[in-house]
Amino acid sequence: MTRLADITVPEEVRARACAGDDAARQAIYAAVAPATFALVRRMIGYRAASEDVFQDTMMIFYERLADFRQEAPLGAWLRQIAISRCLMHLRSPWRRVRACLEGQGPDATPPGAALVSPALPPETLDVERALATLAPTARAVVWMYEVEGYSHAEIARAFGRSVSFSKSQLARAHLRLRAWFEPEGSRPTCILS
Amino acid sequence: MHTELEQGERLAALLRSLPEQTLGPYDWSEFRRRAHERAALGQRIGEGRRVAAVVVIAVAVCAGAIRWVESGPRPAAPPAAAPRVDEASAERYLASLPHEPAVVRVGTRAAVATLEDHIALVDDLLSAERVERAPPARLLALQHERSELISSLVQVRYAEALADESR
Repeated sequence: MTRLADITVPEEVRARACAGDDAARQAIYAAVAPATFALVRRMIGYRAASEDVFQDTMMIFYERLADFRQEAPLGAWLRQIAISRCLMHLRSPWRRVRACLEGQGPDATPPGAALVSPALPPETLDVERALATLAPTARAVVWMYEVEGYSHAEIARAFGRSVSFSKSQLARAHLRLRAWFEPEGSRPTCILS
Repeated sequence: MHTELEQGERLAALLRSLPEQTLGPYDWSEFRRRAHERAALGQRIGEGRRVAAVVVIAVAVCAGAIRWVESGPRPAAPPAAAPRVDEASAERYLASLPHEPAVVRVGTRAAVATLEDHIALVDDLLSAERVERAPPARLLALQHERSELISSLVQVRYAEALADESR
């Protein structure tokens, strides 16, 4: 399965999309949207918030498509935009205020179902559920470090925090995930609705 | 017996093995509909900004009129020098004001809240653009937008201060 960072689009299609050709834009959307949304949703958790961030990401993507310099695959460039938008959302004071108004702490765990797609095979479903038990910031740190390949220094910079913030978030998240997978361990409750 | 390192690596491998394309978004037509909706919202925000400017002028005129009526034909000097437009001194001026004016007026409060929201939004955008290493022209445009918003906010707060003084 193609990863977002590996997705490329023929130059001719990109040029037509830059010129405002709707069919070309639609073709690019079809190629990149599923992987982009999956990335955003795994970092953000909540479906509604993920859709907002995804929409934002794609709108910026089309706005700046003409600036793309082809130094990397188009998907890798889009991934940067998506991650940056996710971080912006996670750092946003409005998200924290809204989370508090909704009776959750800003780092509350989203409902487990938020990340889980029923169409997934059971073993994948379990990993998704485990991931869903993490708080949004911890999940973003785990995802950036383990999957996207960011270093602790890069994560710290992205969050505007220290390197030890990134390390401690990752260590705590690992503990929690390990507890989830340990058969005799105290598995945290996953709130699947 | 697995070491902590092995367990960490297993965990990372599990995460990396998650499929990338199973959580489907909405389709192209829905994306376009939402994009149009946002564009319309942006337009409304622009209109809101114009309304805020009108409110500022109205409040300033009212404050001036009240002051004139109360202190006779020779109006006294304003309570403080009108804030200058440069950003650093504008921010210092804003910080020196009380969080809430003595008398809360719905019109100006709404304008203040809208402007503060926009400034926070532009701040967020600026930090994201810096992380993405956006072209300097884009950063400059955002910085300029921020200065204008700060300047508008200073004008509203100054008008509020004048109105408070004239009571």
